[in-house]
Amino acid sequence: MNGPDLLPLVFMLPLVVAALLPALALKRPELSWALALTAALVTAGVAAVLTATLGESLALRYPVGGWAAPLGIELVFDRLSAITIVFSGVTALALVFSRTLAGGLGPRPALFHALVLVNLGGLNGFAVAGDLFNLFVFMELLSVSAYALVAAGRGSGSALAALKYLLPGAVSSLLVLFSIGVVFALTGSLNMADVAERLGPAGAPAATALAVALFASGFMIKAALFPLHFWLPDAHSAAPGPVSALLSALVVKVGVIGLIRGQLLFGEAAAPALSQVLMLLGAVAIVAGAVAATVQSELKRLLAYSTVSNVGYIALGLGLATTASVAGSLVHVGYHGVTKAGVFLAAAALIERTGLHDIEDLRGLGHRMPWSAAAISAGMVALAGVPPSAAFVGKWQIALGALEAQQPVLIAVILGGALLALGYGIRVINALFFRSPTHARVVAAREAPPSTVLPLVVLVGLALSAGLTGALMIDFVGPVATAIVGAIAETPGGR
Amino acid sequence: METVLAHLDYVAVAVVFCTGLYILLARQNLLKKLIGLNIMETAVFAFIVTTGMVDDGDPPLLAGDLGPAFASPLPHALVLTGIVVAVSMTSLALALIVRIHCEHGTIELDELLDRDGS
Amino acid sequence: MGAELFDLRPALAPLVSAVCAGLVMLVGYRPGWRAALAIAAAVLKFGIVWSMLPGALAGTVYAISFGEILPGLALAFRVDALGLFFALVSSTLWVAATVYALAYMRGHPGQQRFFGFFSLCVSTTVGIAFAENLLTLFVFYELLTVCTYPLLMHDGGLKARRAGRRYLVYTLTGGALILAGMLMIWHLAGTLSLADTGILGGIDDPVALATIFVLLAVGFGVKAAIMPLHAWLPAAMVAPVPVSALLHAVAVVKAGAFGLLRLIYNVFGVDLMRELGYADVLGAIAAATIVLASVIALRQHKLKALLAWSTISQLSYIVLAACLLTPAAALAAIIHLANQAFAKITLFFAAGAIERGTGATRIDELDGIGYRLPMVMVAFTIASLSFIGVPLLAGFITKWYLSLGALEAGAGFYVWVMAVSTLLNAAYWLPILYRAWFRRPGRYGTTARPVSLLMRVPTLICALYVVILGIGAEAPAMPFALAESAVRFAFGMLGVAP
Repeated sequence: MNGPDLLPLVFMLPLVVAALLPALALKRPELSWALALTAALVTAGVAAVLTATLGESLALRYPVGGWAAPLGIELVFDRLSAITIVFSGVTALALVFSRTLAGGLGPRPALFHALVLVNLGGLNGFAVAGDLFNLFVFMELLSVSAYALVAAGRGSGSALAALKYLLPGAVSSLLVLFSIGVVFALTGSLNMADVAERLGPAGAPAATALAVALFASGFMIKAALFPLHFWLPDAHSAAPGPVSALLSALVVKVGVIGLIRGQLLFGEAAAPALSQVLMLLGAVAIVAGAVAATVQSELKRLLAYSTVSNVGYIALGLGLATTASVAGSLVHVGYHGVTKAGVFLAAAALIERTGLHDIEDLRGLGHRMPWSAAAISAGMVALAGVPPSAAFVGKWQIALGALEAQQPVLIAVILGGALLALGYGIRVINALFFRSPTHARVVAAREAPPSTVLPLVVLVGLALSAGLTGALMIDFVGPVATAIVGAIAETPGGR
Repeated sequence: METVLAHLDYVAVAVVFCTGLYILLARQNLLKKLIGLNIMETAVFAFIVTTGMVDDGDPPLLAGDLGPAFASPLPHALVLTGIVVAVSMTSLALALIVRIHCEHGTIELDELLDRDGS
Repeated sequence: MGAELFDLRPALAPLVSAVCAGLVMLVGYRPGWRAALAIAAAVLKFGIVWSMLPGALAGTVYAISFGEILPGLALAFRVDALGLFFALVSSTLWVAATVYALAYMRGHPGQQRFFGFFSLCVSTTVGIAFAENLLTLFVFYELLTVCTYPLLMHDGGLKARRAGRRYLVYTLTGGALILAGMLMIWHLAGTLSLADTGILGGIDDPVALATIFVLLAVGFGVKAAIMPLHAWLPAAMVAPVPVSALLHAVAVVKAGAFGLLRLIYNVFGVDLMRELGYADVLGAIAAATIVLASVIALRQHKLKALLAWSTISQLSYIVLAACLLTPAAALAAIIHLANQAFAKITLFFAAGAIERGTGATRIDELDGIGYRLPMVMVAFTIASLSFIGVPLLAGFITKWYLSLGALEAGAGFYVWVMAVSTLLNAAYWLPILYRAWFRRPGRYGTTARPVSLLMRVPTLICALYVVILGIGAEAPAMPFALAESAVRFAFGMLGVAP
């Protein structure tokens, strides 16, 4: 099988298995977990092979049905699509984690697993879509499965949380669809590369601006960029443990990737307004998210606001529009995914074992659940960006970009956000390890089983040490960063 | 005025879209919010279809006597998919609303938020 | 500089104790295994570091690089004279501190975590010493902060939490400032290497240079406890004695001072510093710290608090010496890294032994302690006399060279500062010695609780070192020659003894 021929597999495999899973597992429910995990792992393998096949070239292209672009639908695996490895890997680890959470997954675990696989299929498809239409379809796939996954929670508030997630999500999808319609009206094509070429000569600045605004707003809602983040804390904290990890680590990134694709698509039509907006909102998001996290009493809400802050970093990097900062944002998408997944899974372990959500209630849990508590502690340190953790690389690059873009004040914002992150991280560590228990359930708690602890250790370990691969990753995404900067700076006098 | 009349379809789309958005934001009843969402979706679909319209064009059916000008079939495919997505989302939302009603006894958002204490 | 030689030892030294830390955390629930692992790691590291001394004296520079972790920036180790000197001090004292800690912490809960992080701290300290560039130094600098936190908080309780919070706020903010400075240096100069004497030599932007200096001086100054950035240190006294000994003699504060030395000698370089004149300001602040901290020390009633303020004062000797920008003063700065470390750790060990043996924590409870704990008090006497500057002891050497350097630099005023400081030191050390040896034992002097030999012997050995450093400093093959070598390199002199 040729390298590029594997391309559709990266989203077809999870989708097909998801479709068959409920039926296959009807007689043997215990099979569904194993099947789902296998599918996720194989998908991760396929993504890795595709990335390796990518080698020096910029993109692998796969025309669906043999119809060549721009008339046919094209799948494109470029360096940004390598994020599918993270998507698939984290999903697999989340599935490993959910093995022992049977009670909290709704009446039929097979349905939960199927939804997770549909989500993965949507994520991967989104990353390899070369066509605006496909982009929309996969975006909806992953969104709808995400809404349903939020509702899989045990508590009575989960249905409402899911609906509160659904409504803004649906509106944002509509905005994107509207924008796609406008783009089609202007260029007559839906192929992203084709549109990028045709948009300039189409010569309709007002309509193009409208398309940019709609596209950007839609994806900013999906990315939970301040101030469009209002849906995130409720959704991510009300969802069951592994689902929160998937949402914060992966699904939110869809918004960011959408913004990146938008910058590549609209090029100079988007600059400099979009860059300015991203920069400003990103800076505000970093601080607002961190400050909000500091005052949270619930553990998962704290982590949700931390996601808002980190999305701010990514947006800031994109907005600064220098090669260094954009590269930093790109690697942060992957690195933050791994780190946040580890931290959320660790939090889920602590919460599931004790049934307690508040940080102050979890005091003293460090001695009863040493592995999980150590994992979340190390994870919070990694999240703040203490070198050599993964988050350090992105922050360094974005700060460097701030210097290059003559915005040294933003360095204070970036470092301030990191300090605040350390602040709320230490708060969690203190509560877990350096306070005595105040709740009976903490005293009675016991460490989670190995299948639950393993994904935590793997993810947090990666998060702490992945900074060592920083140079490699920055080099890897370099061409994409250069492409983005080039796309939005084509007119002289543009940024 | 001429511009409005010339682009009546786009104006209509905008009006319907804003109506739907208003209903979504202003109404407290969850079902009504959902209806507002559906109205917005309809507006967007209508917009997409009209972008493929060609004045005095034939419908894009592959029959023997296809004229030189025919409406583009591509938006139709886009809209069909969009409708399917909208339907699945609506059904999910309805299921959630039913569950909310079972759990809380009400589907008015303000009452639900009061109850949650959030 | 001398030949650069690829060698595994610069990497092995930090690695050994990191591996030990991992093992202790995983399998160290048996006290015997814990002790064996901790001591084995300390001794191994001692061996590895000392084995590089002959080569370094001959001019070889051992280096090893692990590849880039950020574009253009590698994680690399490079053992030059200054770095090796710092590492020698750290690894030697670590053996003593490990033995002492094993005895002191016996019976305390949480020993697995304690010794795990204890070992990690020395890893990071040696990492700082051997760092080839500012990024590597920063990585280990921040890791040091993270690893010392659980040790500081070990005994728990409200005071520990408050002290811990203050410690983190200060050190992490300092770290952020260092990072900001690093970013600017990288952006302007394109390198963060510490292998040369002055990477900012070619930069023409006075505002940028001033900003960088302020950022890095304040950033490193937090850990070096220069006033007014010192407030975390007295609060950190709440930690167990081995931790205070570590923080105050070996790891954290010395890392800050070391960072300042690197800033002055390797980032800016002596020539640029002379041109810009920033060193004068920093020197004045250091001198003020020396005097002020000593004055505050006079008013302390608790022994550990006195030791804390004495540390703040003594560290600024190093900073002042470095800011004088003359070879003699530079020598003083470097050797004081060792002199202060050995003497201060002796004092802390003694304070811990006194507390264990008699329960006395205040100075007025120390009447007649000399007869109750003779070994410990002899060591205490030697160390405190060294701080006063009695000839034949290490402290005298420092003051001698510092005064020489001040005269060389035409800043004779600082000789007066030295004199005032000597007087103040006498004013707070001598009364303690008088009480211990010349007063009848009070209530505390007669309580009988055995103090383990494992605590008393390291104390005495460190005091012995103070004597050795004072008398035999200039013997060949001693680390003193390393310090001279470092000074020669920093000042661009070759084959000229200061």
